[in-house]
Amino acid sequence: MRILIATAQVPFVWGGAEAHAEGLRAALCKEGHAAEIIRVPFKGYPPQRIPEQMLACRLLDVTESCGAPIDMLIGLKFPAYLIPHPNKVLWIVHQYRMAYELWDHPLLGELIHFPAGRQVRALIHAADRQLIPQARAVFANSQTVAGRLKRDCDIDATVLYHPPPHAEQFACTACEEYLFFPSRLNHLKRQALVLRALAHTRLPVRVRFAGWADEPGYLRELQRLAGDVGVARRVEWLGLVDEEEKRRQYARALAVVFPPEDEDYGYVTLESMLSSKAVVTCTDSGGPLEFVLHERTGLVVDPTPAALAAALDRVWGAREQARAWGEAGRARYDDLAISWRTVVRTLLA
Amino acid sequence: MKLSWFSPLPPAQTAVAQYTARLLPALCRQATVTLWTDQMDWDAQVEEYATVRRYDPDCAQWAELNRADMSVYHIGNSQFHGAIWRVSREAPGVVVLHDVRLQDLFRSVHQESEQRAEYLDVAEEFYGVRGRNAASDFWRDTLPSAYMAARYPFTPLAVAGALGVVVHTRESYLAVKRSSDCPLVHAALPHPLAAPRPRRSWAPPYRLILFGYIDWNRRLNEVLQALALFPERGRLRLDVYGQLFNTEDARARVRALGLDGLVTLHGFVPTTQLDAALAGAHLAINLRSPTMGEASFSQLQIWAHGLPSLVTPAGWYAALPGEVVAFVRPEHEQADLHAHWYALLADPERFVRMGEAGRRHLDAHHTPAAYAHAIIGLAAEAQRCRADAAARQLADRAATEMSVWLPPAASPEVFRQAATSIALLANGGRDGDA
Repeated sequence: MRILIATAQVPFVWGGAEAHAEGLRAALCKEGHAAEIIRVPFKGYPPQRIPEQMLACRLLDVTESCGAPIDMLIGLKFPAYLIPHPNKVLWIVHQYRMAYELWDHPLLGELIHFPAGRQVRALIHAADRQLIPQARAVFANSQTVAGRLKRDCDIDATVLYHPPPHAEQFACTACEEYLFFPSRLNHLKRQALVLRALAHTRLPVRVRFAGWADEPGYLRELQRLAGDVGVARRVEWLGLVDEEEKRRQYARALAVVFPPEDEDYGYVTLESMLSSKAVVTCTDSGGPLEFVLHERTGLVVDPTPAALAAALDRVWGAREQARAWGEAGRARYDDLAISWRTVVRTLLA
Repeated sequence: MKLSWFSPLPPAQTAVAQYTARLLPALCRQATVTLWTDQMDWDAQVEEYATVRRYDPDCAQWAELNRADMSVYHIGNSQFHGAIWRVSREAPGVVVLHDVRLQDLFRSVHQESEQRAEYLDVAEEFYGVRGRNAASDFWRDTLPSAYMAARYPFTPLAVAGALGVVVHTRESYLAVKRSSDCPLVHAALPHPLAAPRPRRSWAPPYRLILFGYIDWNRRLNEVLQALALFPERGRLRLDVYGQLFNTEDARARVRALGLDGLVTLHGFVPTTQLDAALAGAHLAINLRSPTMGEASFSQLQIWAHGLPSLVTPAGWYAALPGEVVAFVRPEHEQADLHAHWYALLADPERFVRMGEAGRRHLDAHHTPAAYAHAIIGLAAEAQRCRADAAARQLADRAATEMSVWLPPAASPEVFRQAATSIALLANGGRDGDA
């Protein structure tokens, strides 16, 4: 089949959703299909731009190319999943979160600060409710995303997990003296929470952060915070690392700390499990909670500096326990049978 | 429901401020209300019912406003409503029209010289080149307000983009219906009954009262002239309360007509003082010619006090039942006023009955509870219109963009796909093309 994967991309921002699209394309090609990704550039401000981009998507005709039909469209992200196609399947990575659970978020609420915010939000809600169910099937990449679809739009979606990129290349080697936190640097990933937690630890816990800031200046903000709370000498900022280096950092870490706020899915959790590493996450972290079992494959604690500090001390001080939880995490990943083959067969069924 | 309520507040010298103050008890029983004002001060009494917040129309607190379910904007034909209108343009909500003729408001909104071009453009958009020319003359004060009111009232500018509109008269309803397709409600202007007081003494001299914002259309000059020529004028007293269109001119006229002992110009007074005056008066004179199409809050105050009244048979007043008011025809003020005053002197009981009937009429048709219920119902309906409003803006944007590269004679078919797609985004296309 000739299959298009429709996604949206904020230019120069690359994260899990972009890797997700690439992984799907590779998997479809591996199964013998011709697959391409179309990326709609997205800019969420001022709010009036959003309906225009929604309309632009609706006006696209991707039913055929050079006279030959395009057999299927797989929509991943807002507003690209609004592109019409007679054989459309949605595998939703996330909706436009500023119009839903992040509407009134103290740091990330955007639409709410504009006079036209409520109207634009209403249009997004209306379009999602009307147009998502028109797809032949609706999948979500995690229970967290499916739960939001049900809660906010009363739309049922089937959860469909997929492996992180290069899943087969993750490994575990001798542990070194650090916890690893690989992720884009932004408010939702909550690197700042980890810095504040480090200030409360009893043990000399060290953390390596890998990833680049979405917004210029945010790295400096975090570094300033680390200095302010007195933990600058216990953290390292690796910046953007390539995939191979990232896997190396996973392999040698003592454990992984990943406490985002309401993460959609979170490759970090799965990559940690593949690397046989215990994961410390939080009770409001969303996607990771679908995989991390408290005191069996890691720790799930309240999103407060004190609670997180206690968890960090625990994995830092009980190395053998952390190692055992990491191995249990790897076994759990294998039990879940997450594979691209399953994904492709499910989407194309 | 949480409402953001944009209105003048007491002590602002406008009836809309009184309207809000008197509606609040009933409204706040049915909704959580935040009062938004650009005034520097307000009567503490309103804070018994609602939180008061100040706003700057150039830098409003959008997040706080967006957390409410609906903004309600009160628009009338005076400078008190300019800032409110500006916010309503940015963040659409429900518009309550206190006047349907808004020529003075929009001239005051565009009074700075650099805003003249925008004012004229708007006039042309709604009324064509003739409207533009008239607006230009009006802006330069070479055309009277009455001319603009009759021909170019700028009503569409007040309701453009609104999610819902409340009007208080049938005339306003028809006028708005012509220029807007948003949900529209005709609700009778509310006023609570005044607390019962001992029956006033019905013996001469009888106290006549004329109050409110005494603009050029309130016929004060005609009333003064009629009083000066009334043979039994010594048995009457006239009290005038409120801001006068031209105080010095009025004082001079009172003197010139020899009415110094009979007429008192009190100026603007606090609500309690006005209430006391209404309670002690025998007959209210509440003329409007021409009418601006509004329902009269003053008339409701008159009825609340069981006071008989004389009104002009025009606009909203013309449809009032004969037992609750008596009519004074425009351009026949002297003859009609004399007839009513003779009747008052001869048969005061008839006017007592008129006042009582007015009070019953108020209680039957103008309760704050019913009005608050209507506002909240409309706000709920307006919430459901937000997506449609966003779609209309999107349609405007698409049309503007396409008009750049499409020839003027392009087939409507060219627009069909865009229109259909916009309708689908907003409502699944159930209402047809956007």
